[in-house]
Amino acid sequence: METFRILIVDDEDDFREAIMKRLRARKVEVAGANSGLQALEMLDNQDFDVVVLDVKMPGMDGIETLRAIKQKKPLVEVIMLTGHASVESGIQGMQLGAFDYVMKPVALDDLMDKLRQAYERRMLQLEYGRQNL
Amino acid sequence: MAGNNPPSDQEPWPQLWRYPAIYGSSGLLALLAILLGVYVNPLLGLATAGLAALSGLTVHRLDRQLRAAQQEKYCVDEQLLQSQKLAAVGELAAGLAHEINNPLAIIRQEAEWLLFLCRQSDPLDMTEAITGLRQILKQVDRSREITANLLNFARRQKPVAQALNLNRLVGDMVRLVAKEAEQRHIQIVTDLAPDLPSLSSDAPLLRQVVLNLLNNALQAIGREGTITIRTQVLGADQIGLEIRDTGCGIPKEHLPRIFDPFFTTKPSGQGTGLGLSICHGIIERLGGAITVASEVGQGSTFTIKLPITLTHQEI
Repeated sequence: METFRILIVDDEDDFREAIMKRLRARKVEVAGANSGLQALEMLDNQDFDVVVLDVKMPGMDGIETLRAIKQKKPLVEVIMLTGHASVESGIQGMQLGAFDYVMKPVALDDLMDKLRQAYERRMLQLEYGRQNL
Repeated sequence: MAGNNPPSDQEPWPQLWRYPAIYGSSGLLALLAILLGVYVNPLLGLATAGLAALSGLTVHRLDRQLRAAQQEKYCVDEQLLQSQKLAAVGELAAGLAHEINNPLAIIRQEAEWLLFLCRQSDPLDMTEAITGLRQILKQVDRSREITANLLNFARRQKPVAQALNLNRLVGDMVRLVAKEAEQRHIQIVTDLAPDLPSLSSDAPLLRQVVLNLLNNALQAIGREGTITIRTQVLGADQIGLEIRDTGCGIPKEHLPRIFDPFFTTKPSGQGTGLGLSICHGIIERLGGAITVASEVGQGSTFTIKLPITLTHQEI
């Protein structure tokens, strides 16, 4: 499998660093952002396949960031991560085009599965876009 | 109303099979008339024959009137359906107007305030101006989301078919609503077919449907009740997904419109009435069907049938 590029967006440094370390150990190319704004900036300058996005962040929250990402790069897949489940924001997130909405804590194997599926979806969409040029 | 087929056009001939007993007795009367005419008295035979003909004709005429009445009833049903549809369009427009008017009102307030600032204060209070502009942008975003949702009905993004495990997807979404259910003393029972094959369908769209239906079930129950979510194999190329709640149920007169956009029974400001219509739209795009059965006070059951493999028809 081709390596894919992940962006982890979470304001909690410890969580972000830990998950990045573990993903790197699995040979995944991964970068981190500590806010929605920083994530958007990074998306402007680098290519990412899947963004893992914390829902609750100070300033620009996850839902707002998701909306901005989907506007900027509709084919970047976004997996929302949430500490406490809010059904309403889950529905909102899915409606805004998130790939999945996942409760913390998430087992790394499960997250890897979801990352792979999100990546596969992105590849299918890119492929479809190429065919219809 | 769907099962109400138009009665066939009036047929000129008596439909003997419709009333076998009556037409049969007319026939017997006719036979008796022949027998009486031949063996007893021709006059008596003639009278009986007249009686037989009269009874047959009367029944035939009554039958025709009955069918004419049925035809008329069918037309009235059709008109009722049409007027219900028109009412739904009206409600859609009203719902949309309401949803858009709120942000418009805020935008107007802010714009007038900015205009006032520009005219009055020199130099312009920049922080105040920026706050106003931000608010305007936020409200525009809010409106755009409403129109984007609406456009989802018209211009639909093509589903992406991927291998997915529906049982797992259902489990994930149940976990997402579990805490809220627990707080409201609502039990969620899952009954997932262990032999469910892997689907080739659009996972994020299905998550949206399951989450919306679970949310609806929670709201229908309010407090204390049970949601049962079941998956099953329906055949070689079809699976079923059923979400049943023990909630308030849906009044019969609302059932035909339950999937219409903006149709809502919730107080204004709570839910846009788009949830079920979004579910309906998604399931259709995935080549499936969604139906509802409900009884007031008993609860509702939403049943989805999905093809195991999403075949890409032109949408």
